[in-house]
Amino acid sequence: MMVEALVEPSIKVDVADLNVYYGSFHAIKNVSLKVEDRRVTALIGPSGCGKSTFLRALNRMHDLTPGTRVTGSVRLDGSDIYEPGVDPVVVRYRIGMVFQRPNPFPKSIFENVVYGPRIHGESGRDELLAIAEKSLRRAALWDEVKDRLHRSALDLSGGQQQRLCIARVLAVEPEVILMDEPASALDPIATSKIEDLIGVLKKDYTVVIVTHSMQQAARISDYTAFFLLGDMIEVGTTSDIFTRPKDTKTEDYITGRYG
Amino acid sequence: MAQAAVTSEAALERRRRGAAGRRLGDQVATGLLWAAAISVLVLLALFVGYIFFLGIGSISWQFLTSPPSEVTAGGGIGPEIYNSFYILIMTLVFTVPVALAAGIYLQEYAKPGLFQTVVQFSAESLATVPSIVMGLFGLLIFVYLFGWRFSAIGGALTLTILNLPALMRVTQEALATVPDSLREASMSLGATRWTTILRVVLPSAIGPLTTGVVLIAGRIFGETAALIYTAGVSVAAGRAAYDLNPFRPAETLAVHVWYTHAESVVPDVARIGNGSALVLLVMVLLFNVTARVVGRFLTYRFTRKS
Repeated sequence: MMVEALVEPSIKVDVADLNVYYGSFHAIKNVSLKVEDRRVTALIGPSGCGKSTFLRALNRMHDLTPGTRVTGSVRLDGSDIYEPGVDPVVVRYRIGMVFQRPNPFPKSIFENVVYGPRIHGESGRDELLAIAEKSLRRAALWDEVKDRLHRSALDLSGGQQQRLCIARVLAVEPEVILMDEPASALDPIATSKIEDLIGVLKKDYTVVIVTHSMQQAARISDYTAFFLLGDMIEVGTTSDIFTRPKDTKTEDYITGRYG
Repeated sequence: MAQAAVTSEAALERRRRGAAGRRLGDQVATGLLWAAAISVLVLLALFVGYIFFLGIGSISWQFLTSPPSEVTAGGGIGPEIYNSFYILIMTLVFTVPVALAAGIYLQEYAKPGLFQTVVQFSAESLATVPSIVMGLFGLLIFVYLFGWRFSAIGGALTLTILNLPALMRVTQEALATVPDSLREASMSLGATRWTTILRVVLPSAIGPLTTGVVLIAGRIFGETAALIYTAGVSVAAGRAAYDLNPFRPAETLAVHVWYTHAESVVPDVARIGNGSALVLLVMVLLFNVTARVVGRFLTYRFTRKS
């Protein structure tokens, strides 16, 4: 199977037998997935299939929602982030997250970018400025905002806000970046900027992206996993999934037979 | 017309009639709502105008600074103004930290459950206790049981109990205006819950928080019934009237308005009552204006959002 062939290249995140429950609802059923280092892995599937739920389990965001239970293991470089004694706060700055709707803080652009470094104890003015510039450059936003770093982030357009949120994640220097439909609230031009950016980011980061757009998955990802009703039906290289799906359910989905 | 081909004559007729009826209904509703809004404005203008008209003649530097008189004409309200601010500040010092902490706990930490429900219910019940009842409670506890007699601190503590639930509620509502997506953003960057509250939630809620605090300050400033039996209706003589000692009787401006009309034997009751009422009104209006200005300023200062 494809997954076995992927074991040899370095695996950044190794998910085994993952289950997520919202109260008594079994949202993710025994999913195992190996995420390769410095590649883009896309999670696709119809609405409600559990792809976002799965994503949020990878940096322990479910800890914040009362009534949610997670079992199984998520190994980051070999060590389980759900092991007792692991601090979820530390997990989250190794595994950053970009959300569906841009959610900049109601602060200046500068304060948004340096939020992470600040709360982790960096206070030098020059250091923070350097971090802000570096992160904004990597997020391809620097040229657009360099003259108004101290203006409100809320004055930016939706696409700029989303790139700011990416810069904010980069400033923490995570190893893995999770993206939950990062372009679904954006127009086509802003979307293509985000997609270009993901292409650049995968040189240094491992990216896991949830998307409901199959075209997007096909354009930007190296691997694709197909989810349906809480099960992971199939995973493989993106070209295999889109040209030679093994499971008929995958085939039905990518040929447009499910919503 | 392409439209006519698919839409029946009867449907077109219904649309015409319906539209005419809806337009009339809309105009009537707009008119009534506008009239209601205007009547609030007119009432306020009349009220403020009348108090000004009655009270403006009493206002003089001498009136604002000299002590009240027991039997003769010519008393002022200096110590009362001082006491009003003194008790206000003391009350805020007691109320704000507790209300803020309780509100933050309920909104940000407490999981839905029995404890949260019970605390919420207690706060709502406490908020419905009439202030005169709270005053009598203060009389029993602070004046008799603690043996403080009539005192500024007894008054301030009574007002604390009276306003704690409201301020807790204000805190909760202010925090509830902050979208969860901001909390998630902060936590996903490796912040703890407390860091998130300090750096994201409170700064984002600073506008409604300050507005709420200042509006409640206005209420404390104007509170009367709860103070009559706790802080008392008298002021010390001479310099002692401006004392910082919390264990002394401290009649406030609002209480003085009531007292001069109800109990006082001075011949110029009307002059003192009207003047005090005007000063009180202006102060409370100032609180309202300040609430708006400061709230906006702080929101801009902390969030760059105007």
